[in-house]
Amino acid sequence: MQYFARALAASGIALIALPATALTSAAAERWHLSQSADQPTVAAPTGDIEQEAPAITEDGTPATVIDDREVEGILGKSVRSNAGEDMGQIIDVIVKRDGQVRAAVIDFGGFLGVGSRKIAVDWSALSFPASSVIDHVVLNLTPDQVRLAPEYRPGEPLVVLGAAETVQPKPDHSTKSENSPPEK
Amino acid sequence: MPPARPLRNYGRPGVDGDEAHAGEGPDQDSGQNSKPATWGHPAPSPSSLRGLDWFVFFLADAQMGFGPLVAVYLTTQKWTQGDIGLVLTAGGLVALAGQMPGGALVDAARSERVLAAFSVLAIGASALMIGAWPIFAVVLAAKLLHSAASCILGPAIAAISLGLVGHAAMAERLGRNARFASIGAGLAAAGMGTAGYLISNQAIFFVTAALCVPTLVSLWLIGAGQVDPERAHGGKAVAHPGDPMATFRMLMRNRPLMIFAGCVALFHLANAAMLPITAGAITMRSSDWAAALVGACILVPQVVVAAFAPWVGRQAMLRGRRPLLLLGFGALPVRGALLAFATTPDMLVAVQVLDGISAAVLAVMVPLIIADATRGTGHFNLAQGIMGTAVGIGASLSTTLGGYACDRWGITSAFLLLAGVAATGLVVVLAFMPETGELQAER
Repeated sequence: MQYFARALAASGIALIALPATALTSAAAERWHLSQSADQPTVAAPTGDIEQEAPAITEDGTPATVIDDREVEGILGKSVRSNAGEDMGQIIDVIVKRDGQVRAAVIDFGGFLGVGSRKIAVDWSALSFPASSVIDHVVLNLTPDQVRLAPEYRPGEPLVVLGAAETVQPKPDHSTKSENSPPEK
Repeated sequence: MPPARPLRNYGRPGVDGDEAHAGEGPDQDSGQNSKPATWGHPAPSPSSLRGLDWFVFFLADAQMGFGPLVAVYLTTQKWTQGDIGLVLTAGGLVALAGQMPGGALVDAARSERVLAAFSVLAIGASALMIGAWPIFAVVLAAKLLHSAASCILGPAIAAISLGLVGHAAMAERLGRNARFASIGAGLAAAGMGTAGYLISNQAIFFVTAALCVPTLVSLWLIGAGQVDPERAHGGKAVAHPGDPMATFRMLMRNRPLMIFAGCVALFHLANAAMLPITAGAITMRSSDWAAALVGACILVPQVVVAAFAPWVGRQAMLRGRRPLLLLGFGALPVRGALLAFATTPDMLVAVQVLDGISAAVLAVMVPLIIADATRGTGHFNLAQGIMGTAVGIGASLSTTLGGYACDRWGITSAFLLLAGVAATGLVVVLAFMPETGELQAER
């Protein structure tokens, strides 16, 4: 039953995917045009990480322009340990109800996609290189700490693997690995 | 009209070899003399046989890129897990539903080579699409195209083999096919693992597309006139005008075929989940060499198949099918039980030798027994499609069953459960599976 439902959903999405992307890109372009017409000088980053673009009061939407070298999409980024070992890739980001980023899910280990395990790690255990291009993210955990963690399963209580030495002083976020469910 | 090949009608309902030959028209009293390339006198040239070797080799190479690697690659392209699951599920469904239509198409084809060539082109196009445009609609289309093409290529390889060498030499040929396919898959796994590590996962899909060129060249080497379509279909089909389901019903009443389909489904129900669970266990238990050990788990069976499959083919001719079937089906419950109690990652890898033994036996025996059981019907490939459906159902239920057992009761219980399913398969083979090889003792 589930297969059929998913297959139907797959074909449905295939049908609506094209018009949907066309619509969103068209909308983005329209916004971009009006924005650049009103603000011809915003593309001048002078070291500030963020520049508050003045709100377009009459008919536009407030927007923030950020230098593209300062921000980066994080999904699919490879993860390394402090020692440079391959720790997999980021496949999902977990937020709390209030929108605060809580954890990243990494796909760890395996060979050619066989035998990898999905493990949630504390967001504070991740550090991002200061260089302009983020080609990988550093996880402050060793492979030995990650490999034994219980696997991430959507819809079940989340086990978040904490940072090794640099544990964040947040007592209210005490879902660390020591009270994890028993190993499979 | 004398009964040209009376031995081919093994008394199965709906099969009438005499009638089939009577329809051929101006044949004289001996069908053999007038049609030298048909029935029992195949004359494959050495270059054709080598072409088939390399065709199987390069195709197995190319197919390796479409495995679990797709999920890893799409993740690096910022795909969400939900979309990846959707694409893989849709592809799996088409691969399952397309088995019987694919087989029927190969049965209907006048040239197996041309059909295979188009399928190889489709696989190359699919790899290019996935590599060049990793967006949802394109990857979904590519995955569906690949699944459909694979549904044709699976039976087509066996059909070309049968059309080239005939039933008498089929066992040996299948052993050779299995050897080349395993060498291809093993080299591809090692090469792609390295390439993915050193270059990028994306590069693998372009390599896969490029591999379709030598695949087509190898296919070209197989002499067109030497693959007899009638032989490739396992005889001349009896037409059932106005009753499209008659053929299907005839195969469904084919007792050896149906028993064997049940056994093979049980085998894959037990088998398919074992490697992923083993690999997950290695990732969990091994610190330094996890990736290499998981790679070894994939490569060890390929090496065993490459070494062992030709022997299986020869023994199948000498001793019949049943002893080998018992060996292949017997190795699986032993493997499950050993995996359940293996404590170190090295032991898990060592147990994979048993996987290779089962895989070698199944790779030779599945097409061989289908060929035995459908001899003279002209529906060898549709029967392969039916078998492919059984394999697909067993394998897809296996990962669900294995994953569920793993979550609920732990890894040891999961392996024991799978071993139990495998033992059931062995018992069914032992109790019900007839020896099909005696059927071709005429020569």
